[in-house]
Amino acid sequence: MSDDILLEVRGLRTVFDTRSGQVCAVDGVDVTVTRGECLGIVGESGSGKSVTFASVMGLVRSPGRIEAGEIVFDGTDLRKLSPRKMQALRGRDIAMTMQDALTALNPALTVGEQLAEMLEAHDDDLPRRRGARRAAIQARSVEMLTLVGIPSAGDRLRQYPHEFSGGMRQRIMIAIALASKPRLLIADEPTTALDVTIQAQVLELISKLRAELGMSVVLITHDLGVVAEHCDRVMVMYAGQVVEEGPTARVIRDPRHPYTRGLLASIPRPALRGQPIRPIDGQVPDLVDLPPQCRFLDRCPEAGEACRHLIDMHPAGPARRARCIRIAVPETEKA
Amino acid sequence: MTVDPLLKVTNLTKVYTGRPSLVGRMLGRAPVNVRAVSDVSLSVNRGEILGLIGESGCGKSTLGRAILRLHEPTAGKVEFGGTDITALPAPDMKAMRRRMQIIFQDPYASLNPRRTVAEIVGLPLQLHGLAKTRTEMREKVALMLEKVGLKAGQLDRYPHQFSGGQRQRIGIARALISNPEFVVCDEPVSALDVSIQAQIIQLLQDLKREFALTYLFISHDISVIGYLSDRVAVMYLGEIVEMGPVESILARPRHPYTQSLMSAVPEVEASDKSQRVQLSGDLPSPLNPPSGCKFHTRCPLAIDICRQRKPETERVGTGHTAACHRLKENLSLLEGARA
Repeated sequence: MSDDILLEVRGLRTVFDTRSGQVCAVDGVDVTVTRGECLGIVGESGSGKSVTFASVMGLVRSPGRIEAGEIVFDGTDLRKLSPRKMQALRGRDIAMTMQDALTALNPALTVGEQLAEMLEAHDDDLPRRRGARRAAIQARSVEMLTLVGIPSAGDRLRQYPHEFSGGMRQRIMIAIALASKPRLLIADEPTTALDVTIQAQVLELISKLRAELGMSVVLITHDLGVVAEHCDRVMVMYAGQVVEEGPTARVIRDPRHPYTRGLLASIPRPALRGQPIRPIDGQVPDLVDLPPQCRFLDRCPEAGEACRHLIDMHPAGPARRARCIRIAVPETEKA
Repeated sequence: MTVDPLLKVTNLTKVYTGRPSLVGRMLGRAPVNVRAVSDVSLSVNRGEILGLIGESGCGKSTLGRAILRLHEPTAGKVEFGGTDITALPAPDMKAMRRRMQIIFQDPYASLNPRRTVAEIVGLPLQLHGLAKTRTEMREKVALMLEKVGLKAGQLDRYPHQFSGGQRQRIGIARALISNPEFVVCDEPVSALDVSIQAQIIQLLQDLKREFALTYLFISHDISVIGYLSDRVAVMYLGEIVEMGPVESILARPRHPYTQSLMSAVPEVEASDKSQRVQLSGDLPSPLNPPSGCKFHTRCPLAIDICRQRKPETERVGTGHTAACHRLKENLSLLEGARA
């Protein structure tokens, strides 16, 4: 079982020091990614989903810092690695694609140059001799662009990011991320900026490449529909914590945390025409100096006095957990 | 059903003319024309929500703005409440504007950061002479703020002191304070988080009932459109390719583009995606639109005639129209898949 685990994060706590106090963007987050799986991370803005994985990548910069936690990737604790070793690992073994491909790509370099940069840094199989090396990089670059479905790749390597459409740029970023054949791809909102017909293409592509290359994928998104169609497991985050996790189909069919339920009820669906949607009232709490209580308390329709202390994750069925005291009761009854 | 068109748009066209670059002008190049909206006809009945759906760059926002004459239409006619407003002189148009308003997509960019909420929401009152004194204006604004779920005590705050969802509420208050009949909602929930999006959708529905409003609701999200609208118009590269009652569009989309849009939406509930129509390629550049049917470059059913001739808009059901050369073949394909 433990051989199957590729990434294990335990008790991650990432904070940002600001003038108005310490913002705890990620508070006690555990993540497990097994080999070959696609894990979906769902949450709204400020839930800590991106910061969690920026922490995994070692990309949190001042005023942010990782305060506590273990990040074990394939047996290595990444927090104990020297910056140089981390740099070698980042991109090679774990790659990340960003939401906004236009700002993530360098506008002053051609797509070919950016792919070559990645290959130079991480591909050890390249020949040493200059001419042969260049030819190999060219061949690999064409191969990668073709893999992500960009036609006439050879010519397009000479073009700059602005010469591509949004969907194409997202594909290029995926090509760059995959050039080093990483074992884990972290895709941060890969389709949020894209139109639905293009979104469908990009998500299909990620699923196909995952199967072909045997890598694991973490798909960060705010769209439960995307998770439902593409992820084996899902983690729902709220205000810096994981509030529910489990197999996607079961979490969606029978959500255990009131926030997950609220999120599902908030999605307008043609099937619900004429009925009022039941939005979650209020807004996400300010993450500065949170009181020691359930973070969803103010917006929860089921909250009571017992929710006014720190809540742990409770078992909520096979391979499922939820951060709510209410679920524990029916579960023991069932057992 | 009594049909009482509040808004009638006939053959509306909006062409943007791009100035050629200096070098281009020296070489005598012709200016570049983009037909953002091409020959669009539609009507919105009093009290209904017409959903306008399409991908980015299809011209849906331009259409919304051309209807309000925020961008002057190049050709065609817009009638509002029986009056042709296309050639209305400025003072009459100003009076008309009180009755037709717009809610913008970006709640950050659409509010002046240097004005307080009282000033932002009160401006339409001032412009249309709807409040005689400052006190009356503040009272009316306070009342409106409460209607949209904000507090009267927040009158003197600035936009940056509000969250995205609250800012959108300010934008809604500004649009509704002059007591309009018609509101163009231009992607009002696209920039918001799921739970906040649901709050705003609910609010827009409640306000529609309370103030007897009519909406043109522009969105790229077919779930939102399908949930809210009475009728739906589907836009592709400046043209309406399909239009009809929401039930009929959802149950039996007839244009291949509508079909692909609907099957591309990832759904939470497991659904039958065996009929998934997946599109290849991107939206063609509107600078150089394809010949014939503009969708032919991405259409799985395209044949020669699609590349040569523009399809006519045909009636395919009660109040349901579509523009496609292959409606019959498409229908038999659908039936075949179902059988």
